[in-house]
Amino acid sequence: MSEQPHAAHDEHGHHGSPFIAHHYDDAQHQFDSGKFGIWLFLAQEVLFFSALFVAYILYRHHHGEIWMYAHKYLDTKMGAINTAVLIFSSLTAAWAVRAAQLRQQKLLLACLATTLLCAFGFLVIKYFEYTHKVHEHILFGKRFDPCISSNGTSLPTKNNECPGTKSTVKWDFAAGTGTGCLPDIAIDQDPREPLVQANCRVRAVTGSTKLVDKKEVFTKKSEQVIPNVCFDGEYGPLGGLLPDANGNPSKSKFPCWKPKHQPAVCKGGWFYAWGCEGEKCEKKSGGEGPFATLQACDDAKRGKSSALGSQGKATVSDCKHGQASAIVVEWGDHTVRHSPEVGHGDGLEIEVECDGPSSVGNPDYFADKTQELTPGAPTTTTKRPLDHHDLKEMSYSGPPPEHTNMFFTIYFAMTGLHGIHVLFGVFIFIWLLIRAAKGHFTPDYFGPVDFAALYWHIVDLIWIFLFPLMYLIH
Amino acid sequence: MASTADHDHHDDHHGISHVASIKVLVGTGGALLFLTIVTVLATKIDLGPNMNLALAMFIAVIKATLVILFFMHLKYDKIFHTVVFMSAILAAALFVGFTLMDSGQYQHTNIWNPDSPPVAPYGPRPVLPQ
Repeated sequence: MSEQPHAAHDEHGHHGSPFIAHHYDDAQHQFDSGKFGIWLFLAQEVLFFSALFVAYILYRHHHGEIWMYAHKYLDTKMGAINTAVLIFSSLTAAWAVRAAQLRQQKLLLACLATTLLCAFGFLVIKYFEYTHKVHEHILFGKRFDPCISSNGTSLPTKNNECPGTKSTVKWDFAAGTGTGCLPDIAIDQDPREPLVQANCRVRAVTGSTKLVDKKEVFTKKSEQVIPNVCFDGEYGPLGGLLPDANGNPSKSKFPCWKPKHQPAVCKGGWFYAWGCEGEKCEKKSGGEGPFATLQACDDAKRGKSSALGSQGKATVSDCKHGQASAIVVEWGDHTVRHSPEVGHGDGLEIEVECDGPSSVGNPDYFADKTQELTPGAPTTTTKRPLDHHDLKEMSYSGPPPEHTNMFFTIYFAMTGLHGIHVLFGVFIFIWLLIRAAKGHFTPDYFGPVDFAALYWHIVDLIWIFLFPLMYLIH
Repeated sequence: MASTADHDHHDDHHGISHVASIKVLVGTGGALLFLTIVTVLATKIDLGPNMNLALAMFIAVIKATLVILFFMHLKYDKIFHTVVFMSAILAAALFVGFTLMDSGQYQHTNIWNPDSPPVAPYGPRPVLPQ
């Protein structure tokens, strides 16, 4: 394989590889100098990344609730596969060094090629992760305007051009209007009954010629109590605008307090439900917030009556936008539905079916509480006390806590910088592969393979920390 | 290629640098993959947020040590390279440590007492646009 002439260095006293430079005593001297250089570079890399780790630690320390919420946006499976890919490529990189040292030419080529393929694989998986985030607007800084909650529920957003059947509403908060279609979000608007939870869905929709697919039009998971989530005026249907002295909505947002290690909690204030007709959405009803704070839940458990009264008005509207259609059914009082408006809208008749959740603790509590909701008829819904798991799950379905964009700013900065390192690794391993194919690497000259492998190991090392810190938050 | 057979048996100092044995390489790789599975499974057990984080970081540090010692040959390398690398780790630790020492100076203007949360302001019900 080797076509390199050995004669060139002979007068200088060198034997073996033609790549031993003149200013080194021998191959050992050259290798040691290179190795010292690469270790200095690796030390610098540690310092380089440590700045980002400091940003991570500080922000997580102060805003644990953001981390708790936002990490659910990340796909642990993807992260775990990428970890395995990098570890495997680290093994083949280390093995390439061994092969070069032992003059195992074919094995060297195979190891380098495998490392290169793994680096590509890592980038491809990263590409899928990133494009999903671009698609759902889960980005950094001001570009964080997610179409879905971290639990996958559709969310109304600020500058909405979300894909599929999700909200495509554009809100004008100054005018108090929006245009486009709302997603089918289900929020409990009855603060008097923070413990009510039922799985409701529309069983049949009749009398409409407008809807594209009647069965998929309305699949609400539940009328959800969403505790511990801070809504502010920019979240469309749940705009939490405080009334001014005349009772008109003002620009002030819900008052929120942020306990140190808990999600934000809102208490008090007004909210508006938004209704859509055709392309036009506007405020339909108002009511008092919050939906349920932990405190309100505790009060209810202790049998205290909640201080929060009143409820929103039931509205039914349909909305059609391109291929997407959705009905938004919002009601404030789901205990007694006496409003004849329920079930009507543009000539629609809607039948809602509610499943009670499985009984926990006291089965009698749920007895005969499930019944069909028919338009205009008084109804009841199933009840069960929310447990800790429910609260957690529901807070994940709600809008993200304030400043969640910081998680993704840090996420993209860290994984992006790491990804750039992987990209450089790809170029380096292509270069090594070409040189290895030419037979440049010999037992007295394998420095480039060794140094590139060291670089690749530090890239792996950083990912070993990034993976649990980003993807595995408990 | 005949000479390589000998090297496999005594992987010691060989020519310019230490040659890692296949056993060490594969063993390290296997241990790393195993620990990755462990750390993923560990998140399913609830030890409280701090303990889960501590456990995840503990496993990450073990994995990092394995990579550094065996894949990066630091165990067999010159002690000076260890000094260079550890001084970078030390500098990073000082960096993190000193920044965290100071972190109590920020935020904390919103003090939350779960037993007596602040009273919510109440206002008149807003006039609804029709």
